[in-house]
Amino acid sequence: MSPELAAVFVGSSLRLAAPLLLAATGELVSERAGVLNMSVEGMMLTGAFAGATGAYLTGSPTLGLVLGVACVLPVALLQAFLSITLRANQIVTGIGINILVLGVTTLGYRALFGSRSRAEIPGLAKWAPPGLDQVPVLGEHVFTQTWLLYAGALLIAATAWTLRRTALGLAIHAAGSAPAAADKSGLSVPLIRYAAVLFTGVMSALAGCFLSIGDIHTFTEGMTGGTGYLAIAAVIFGNWRVGRTLLACLLFGGAIALQFQLPAMGVNIPNALLIMLPYVLALLAVGGLVGRQVAPAALTQPYLRR
Amino acid sequence: MRGAALPLLRGVARQLRPGPAFAVSVAAVTLALLAGALLVWALGKPVGESIVAFADGAWGSPYSVAASINRALVFMLVGLGFVLAQRASITNVGGEGQIAVGGIAATAVSLYGNVSGLPFGLAFILPMLAASMAGACWGGIAGVLKVKAGTNEVISTLLLSFIAIWMVYGSVQSEALLRRPMTTSATLPESLEIPVSTQLPLLGGDASMPLHAGLPLGIVLAIAIALLLSGTVLGLHLRAAGLNPLAARRAGIAVDRLTVGVLCAAGALGGLAGACMLQGEQYSLKAGFSSGFGFDGLVVGLLARGSVAGVIAAALLFGFLRSGGINMEMVAGVPTALVVVIQGLIIVTLAGAALAIQRMEERR
Repeated sequence: MSPELAAVFVGSSLRLAAPLLLAATGELVSERAGVLNMSVEGMMLTGAFAGATGAYLTGSPTLGLVLGVACVLPVALLQAFLSITLRANQIVTGIGINILVLGVTTLGYRALFGSRSRAEIPGLAKWAPPGLDQVPVLGEHVFTQTWLLYAGALLIAATAWTLRRTALGLAIHAAGSAPAAADKSGLSVPLIRYAAVLFTGVMSALAGCFLSIGDIHTFTEGMTGGTGYLAIAAVIFGNWRVGRTLLACLLFGGAIALQFQLPAMGVNIPNALLIMLPYVLALLAVGGLVGRQVAPAALTQPYLRR
Repeated sequence: MRGAALPLLRGVARQLRPGPAFAVSVAAVTLALLAGALLVWALGKPVGESIVAFADGAWGSPYSVAASINRALVFMLVGLGFVLAQRASITNVGGEGQIAVGGIAATAVSLYGNVSGLPFGLAFILPMLAASMAGACWGGIAGVLKVKAGTNEVISTLLLSFIAIWMVYGSVQSEALLRRPMTTSATLPESLEIPVSTQLPLLGGDASMPLHAGLPLGIVLAIAIALLLSGTVLGLHLRAAGLNPLAARRAGIAVDRLTVGVLCAAGALGGLAGACMLQGEQYSLKAGFSSGFGFDGLVVGLLARGSVAGVIAAALLFGFLRSGGINMEMVAGVPTALVVVIQGLIIVTLAGAALAIQRMEERR
């Protein structure tokens, strides 16, 4: 592998891992607070659609991003209301929301763009940290990325720090592992959980926008195609810890990048095998290849004060 | 004999009696359908014409009725698997993948298993068996992972589904696997058509009313599962293992074996559904063969709230909904995604109402 090809691989792995990194970080927070959001997939799809629509209609990808986040909030609120207030089964509601969103975005896409659509959608600008863009090979292929990737990295770092170092992080942890105790110590479990689910919504929206206006500048029906579930698998793989979850996302991103890298290197492996590779890796990962996982004690359990 | 049969029948009757859950479900479905009609209007399509096209596609001719029922059969098989596993508190969301591996196995055995000349219907029975076994293995993987590694079956069955969908794609891309020999550059990536003797016999005799032999089999299986759940020791063990695995284990129930077994059974039903789709309707394997049938079947299972009667009702509802939706797209230009919206609304509403339903049932 030439240095240039290696740099392209690293760069595209990062780019393909970015939506997973964002969504998994969001999902991690709400799972730590005790809510399993299967609807990460649907939230991403909403973000991708609303982001693309906003960018297309206003001509400004940044406004698209704002619209993407704004449109996910009602979806996240619905998930929170169903699973926290109505104490509905989190898996059923998540899957239901995913189906609903798939239908709504497909309808919306057909209504706005028509089924033909090769509409040019403006995408987010590329950026490289000053100085780093001058590095030979790496500057162009690795460091020059959509600015959302850098912004996302900052958000993820802030989230990791909050979870680990602040009272808020501790409160989130308590809501997910000992809700009764958290309640007794004066914390509002529902409030923490609502906030956590909304946070997942925002992060998933950014992830979805990254797919549609960050990476390929278009929207296709059902374009997330299971990425949200990969993000959930990454959280499990990561044993509900930030560092390991991020590593898992990077691993999946690398596996996705292989689809494009191996053919470019002349390696002849059936396409289908390469496409399923991230899912196989994810299955091996959640299958305990990396040791037994310990989920937050109250994950998927609605809290009711006795 | 009578003494044993009576409570069994009573159990089945209890499953069939409509309660508050039924009333709420009907309300949710009605509301979702109304919302659907409203959406048609909002999209600027003619509502009346769309409804006529919908009805035409769903039940307008013997052909469309049979097509709807064939669809419902697939949903029912997947839904039965879901409800069976649910009894042990296991959530099998892998129907899509189980259909996919079933389709691959049925195609492989029909085409290359030397079964087409076998007598007594073995020509189509053996591929069905192979499909069920493939589905059972696919479900079993999730079961073994759950028992050995504590992996949540929701995520493992989902991931297995994505893997299986791409397995179908891969197997029809390669001539070394199932792709038909390439004669021209226009040869599509799909398998050969399976021999006539391996296709499921049509109940009506010809293709104007294409109900196939999978239907009676499905009905028998539905009755068997209703009996198993309502009146057998095994059904009780499943429930016990689901409610409190530790206590069940103390009581001498082989919880691990039940877990793997019930996921195998659910998978086998999914695989059988795949065989019905392939041998009963499509006759050749294409990429995207399962095309969301497994996810629809999952929804049917979710809506059934654990009862076999619920599975049948929801499967019929969705079978007719889907067929009607497809015709509505072709005739009135309303995207089938509308049906997806309606399904989503139904699930979300019913999931949200679950607690209220439970309270009403307790008050009865």
